[in-house]
Amino acid sequence: MTLTEALQVLLLGITLGGVYALMASGLTLVFGVMRIVNIAHASLMIVAAYISFQAFKLYDLDPILSIFITIPVMFLFGAGLYKLLFARLPSDARFGELTVLLTFSLALIVEGVLGYFFTNTYRSSNPSYATDAISFDTLYLPRGQFYATLISVGLILLLWAFLQFTRTGNAIRATMQNPTAAQVVGVNVERMSMIAFGLGTGLGGAAGAMMSFLFTFYPGKHWEWVAILLSLIVLGGMGSLLGALVGSFVLTISAAYVSYFFGPTWSPLTFFLALFVILLVRPQGMFGKKMEAA
Amino acid sequence: MTRNRVQTVDKTSFMKSKGTFLGAFIVLLALFPLLQFVTGSLNYWLYMFLYTFMYIAMSSSWNIIGGYAGYVSLGHNVFFAIGAYFSGILLVYYKVSPFLTAPFAGLVAMVVGLAVGLISLRTRGSAFIISTIAMIMLVKISLDNWDYVGGASGMSGPFLQISREYSKMPFYYAMLLIAMGAVYTSYRIRHSKFGLGLRAISQDETKAEVAGIPTSMYKILAFAISGLFVGIAGALWGYYLTYLKPDIFLTIGIATHMVLMTVLGGKGTVAGPVVGSIAFIAINEYFVTELGSTELNIAATGLLLILVLLFFPKGIVGTLKERGKLPAVLDWD
Repeated sequence: MTLTEALQVLLLGITLGGVYALMASGLTLVFGVMRIVNIAHASLMIVAAYISFQAFKLYDLDPILSIFITIPVMFLFGAGLYKLLFARLPSDARFGELTVLLTFSLALIVEGVLGYFFTNTYRSSNPSYATDAISFDTLYLPRGQFYATLISVGLILLLWAFLQFTRTGNAIRATMQNPTAAQVVGVNVERMSMIAFGLGTGLGGAAGAMMSFLFTFYPGKHWEWVAILLSLIVLGGMGSLLGALVGSFVLTISAAYVSYFFGPTWSPLTFFLALFVILLVRPQGMFGKKMEAA
Repeated sequence: MTRNRVQTVDKTSFMKSKGTFLGAFIVLLALFPLLQFVTGSLNYWLYMFLYTFMYIAMSSSWNIIGGYAGYVSLGHNVFFAIGAYFSGILLVYYKVSPFLTAPFAGLVAMVVGLAVGLISLRTRGSAFIISTIAMIMLVKISLDNWDYVGGASGMSGPFLQISREYSKMPFYYAMLLIAMGAVYTSYRIRHSKFGLGLRAISQDETKAEVAGIPTSMYKILAFAISGLFVGIAGALWGYYLTYLKPDIFLTIGIATHMVLMTVLGGKGTVAGPVVGSIAFIAINEYFVTELGSTELNIAATGLLLILVLLFFPKGIVGTLKERGKLPAVLDWD
């Protein structure tokens, strides 16, 4: 491996990192606020990918611009799901397990319905930038990946700013830290949870739009994705936004090198091996607090 | 005092009659395939029964870690795949019948369970569940890339050398045997100190640990034991299908079925997985014949699971027991 090659692989890893981080940020936000591991997160991303794909196919709408549709649609969808499924669950010891099983079932429903309407054919949008590359000297940057990562990082920054500087954002962070105390000081925990769940799926909606032209997808593809994303947030520390961001970049870069040395079919293994290693040495993840029966 | 004694006497005589009833039922199940010699064309029913036995074995096993200990595993089909591939390799390359190697396949699955459990069970709750999903992916990618077993396109083994008319019978008996074995194991664990410890863990792990229960050892042991019969089932199922492919054994669907059947029947009860497997397979078969086999079946599975979780979290057996309407024959707890 020459230095140029090493740099090239690094570049490819970085340009995917942002997209993975966007995907993981919604998942980790939902976990952070509600302690819900949303197994259906990736299946909702696929829903958004289909919306984006159909909009591109039928109305020639640019997949990147389609986030203006997928984000609000998935936000409302997520908020509705929260109201329907999770709002009235008792918060007892079985809550974590129950929510995992519920979101797991939800993923099955989404997969089945998508499969019924769109069949299991592999899809991908092909806007002009999807196959194009920007080259500098000997290095190149895939244009689609580059745009997607820029927008993803931008969206994550927006999310961060929202949580940091707005009243609602502060209330959500308060709920993350201590729901009971937040309730006592007058935060409407119920409402914040709904907004956070909507935001989580909304971010998934944006990620789905990126996915529609970066990767091939079909209804059953979400298992692979959610397994990768879950590994990312365990590595970063569940519920930590910074963890999701750092975890994503670390792992996508590592996966790019694994792909270079051992072939692309092995690269997803990086995520799962990393998960087991982190469970072995630091079960709470890089930026996580020690997790009790959550 | 007297009343008490009368009750005890009643109970033992009743246990005896329950035992007789179950014994008679098993004898009937064992005799059933012999009808094939008389009437023929029972293959559909033999298939339905052996399929049900297999899932009774698997969901009863799942119940040991997922129900008793309360550690939901969404990756139990890994044991299924390991069993299938272990016996499959021995069949294809060394011509040893999986009927002989299946118990060893179960042991291999158990050892893998021990190893994975040592790592995965360091975490609780959500992180554990995530690690079980990752386990599926880890094994799937490895098998997809392992040329010796045919990679992603899989490998096929020889058929069992029996005429088509009777070829289902050995599988029927093998599956019946492992179903009985798994339910018996589950029953014995439920009524042991070990089982009590597992239930304490599922209720409050910290308190259980303070009370002196070796929680880590118990959990890891429960995880490994729950892999045993799933591994054996995998070995038999691989032989039955005559081909092995990661896509068949490592779909999340098989893991889902184990979870759903147990939850539907009643998590943490001995009879729950048995009742749940029969009920689920019957419902599913009804849908397939009425609506055809479409993707909507996956959605229906998910919907059923949500409805059970929200409205009957104790499952069929648990709910009936709570209302005092559980037939005594099914009360094995």
